[in-house]
Amino acid sequence: MVEAAARRPPASSPSGPLAIRVRRFGEITKEVLRNPTTTIGLVIIASLLLMALMAPIITEANTPDAYQMPRDWGAINEPPGTPGHLLGTTSTGGDVLYGVVWGARTSLRLSVIVVGITMVVGTIMGSIAGFIGGKVDEIIMRLVDVLLAIPELIFALAIAAVLGPSFGNIIFALTVVFWVKYARIIRGQIIHVKHNEYVDSARVIGDSKLNIYRKDVLPNSVTPVVVQATLDMGNIVLVAATLSFIGLAEAGLAEWGVLVSEGQAGISAGRWWASTIPGAMVFLWALAFNLFGDGLRDVLDPRTEGR
Amino acid sequence: MTAPAAAPLSDKTASRVASVEELRIHFDTKAGRLHAVDGVSFDIFDGESLGLVGETGCGKSVTARSFLRLIPVPPGTYAGGRIHFWSKEARQTGGSPVDLLQVPASQMRDIRGNRIAMIFQDPGKALNPALSIREQVAEVFYQHRSEDLLDGWNGTPPRPIRRAAGQRSGKLEWLAFKVPPLRSPARRLRKRVDDLVGDALAETQIPNPRKIMTSYPHELSGGMKQRVMIAQALACNPDLLIADEPTTALDVTIQARIMELIRELQLRHQTSVLYISHDLSLVRRICDRIAVMYAGRIAEIGQTRHVFHDPLHPYTRGLLAAIPSLAHQRGELAVIDGTVPELIDPQPACRFHTRCSYATDLCGRLDPPLVARPGLRPVACHGYASPDELGVAADQLPRLDRDAP
Repeated sequence: MVEAAARRPPASSPSGPLAIRVRRFGEITKEVLRNPTTTIGLVIIASLLLMALMAPIITEANTPDAYQMPRDWGAINEPPGTPGHLLGTTSTGGDVLYGVVWGARTSLRLSVIVVGITMVVGTIMGSIAGFIGGKVDEIIMRLVDVLLAIPELIFALAIAAVLGPSFGNIIFALTVVFWVKYARIIRGQIIHVKHNEYVDSARVIGDSKLNIYRKDVLPNSVTPVVVQATLDMGNIVLVAATLSFIGLAEAGLAEWGVLVSEGQAGISAGRWWASTIPGAMVFLWALAFNLFGDGLRDVLDPRTEGR
Repeated sequence: MTAPAAAPLSDKTASRVASVEELRIHFDTKAGRLHAVDGVSFDIFDGESLGLVGETGCGKSVTARSFLRLIPVPPGTYAGGRIHFWSKEARQTGGSPVDLLQVPASQMRDIRGNRIAMIFQDPGKALNPALSIREQVAEVFYQHRSEDLLDGWNGTPPRPIRRAAGQRSGKLEWLAFKVPPLRSPARRLRKRVDDLVGDALAETQIPNPRKIMTSYPHELSGGMKQRVMIAQALACNPDLLIADEPTTALDVTIQARIMELIRELQLRHQTSVLYISHDLSLVRRICDRIAVMYAGRIAEIGQTRHVFHDPLHPYTRGLLAAIPSLAHQRGELAVIDGTVPELIDPQPACRFHTRCSYATDLCGRLDPPLVARPGLRPVACHGYASPDELGVAADQLPRLDRDAP
């Protein structure tokens, strides 16, 4: 022991595990940015988020509810470029720019809430199923199977329709639909990970089950969930836009799907801007998160490397 | 310690660390009940290293894993037998052993990593890729040596610190450790953990242990990872170390060094080692005794040099003959004809009789028990039985030519 201690170099490195985590985060970021399409996705995401955050600066917030479109009945169907209405107006005098900017805020709120809740619920349910196994697993996964058997759009539609048209109900419907995917992913991961030798190794040290789950199983299982969450940030906005397009959100809400539906009647009359511009925003949003999510998967999940 | 009633023990009790008696481990498969370990008995003495050798699928790993109850149940079942284990205290005070197959889960957790440690085959898979080396080695101290971590405090350390030493802190407590008044005691605990982990790593002669501590498994080579595993296993100075083919996944050049390291640490710590391997030449170098396993049974057990110089069981002879040697280059490699028998619902017969060149009718009808006969070490072969013992005519016994292995 004495000689061993003598061989040890002076404790110089101040870098604790935290420093390493930060360093690793840096490495991951660098690797993600090496892929140009991922970088494009990230840039679009950043600009959309910036736009959402700066919404009250870009346009004057409507009172009393900023998420309601302001109506300017004196300027109906104005084309883009009109002073005061940079992106034109809808047939009901709604400013398209206002809708685009505050719609980004709506989308951000929606996707953060839904992804946040579904990720947590799905991870908990999937963890219970995968880690405990047996009958508990059977019950949870059969429930998941039932929910997965119904197409997500139809199911969300049914829930939202029953609860009545409101954006809050769309959020609720999407939450009910989207958690199952996470449960399934995390369960598969956990079943795979818990048979790893390092889990046996932790048991051999005398670690408790909960500790093994917390330190050995979960950290090695979450990667695909993170990737899925990124992809879902995009998908959820797409599905929500679909639901509000067919009228399941409150009319007049500053939301891209609502705007598209408001403007669609004018397309045949040549008034393309009122629906195309918000539609393009949905497209951009979904595209950006999908590009970024794919790039993230390439870096985080070694199995898909080189694909 | 509570122990289920132990079987009558021999005089050698005091010096034994573990004693396996008629261990049976079965697995339920679609094809039937697989008798992976079928009546295995052996002792491990204090401070010795026992090599358990045999080919793939003979049940050696299953036997070793059952010491720590790592067999998944189901499909596995502990179908019978006992594994007695004497901790250091029990040996010193002449206390009674515990049956590792019967102890309650909480006591098992205390034994794991503290009294009995294990090194796995593939160090690349046995380390958690998401945790730093420091965190993984420290885990042992948190689990079993939390009082050590709190050594040298004036008075009782604050409660949150005591909880942290047992790894029972919640997230909020960890936040509190970053600000006064808990910051300096938390740092102190951290430094103590660093020192213990550093010492444990330094003992395995890993270069630059302080730097290794902050690394993650993927940043280390296979040999270094195995050293980390060894550090983790020996951190609590266990009574018994189970090494399940610890060098199989390593380069040949590293193998010898790791084996020497295990041997050296074993001697220094007076740890008993159960060595699982299929590599006879490696086992020969570091084991005091060897138990040869075949198809879920022990064929022969004895001092390493005796087994190598005078193998008794025909299977052992075949194994030794199959070791390629530099003396007769070229030429064909010796093999044992045939394959390992099905272990599903085995018949009462010698497991080796289908491949044994000495086998007689008797071997196909009667299972030879592992017995030590006068002047011989324990061997499971009818060739060493007397006709009276089995009640058969002398010409029915296999005739082993003992001079020509």
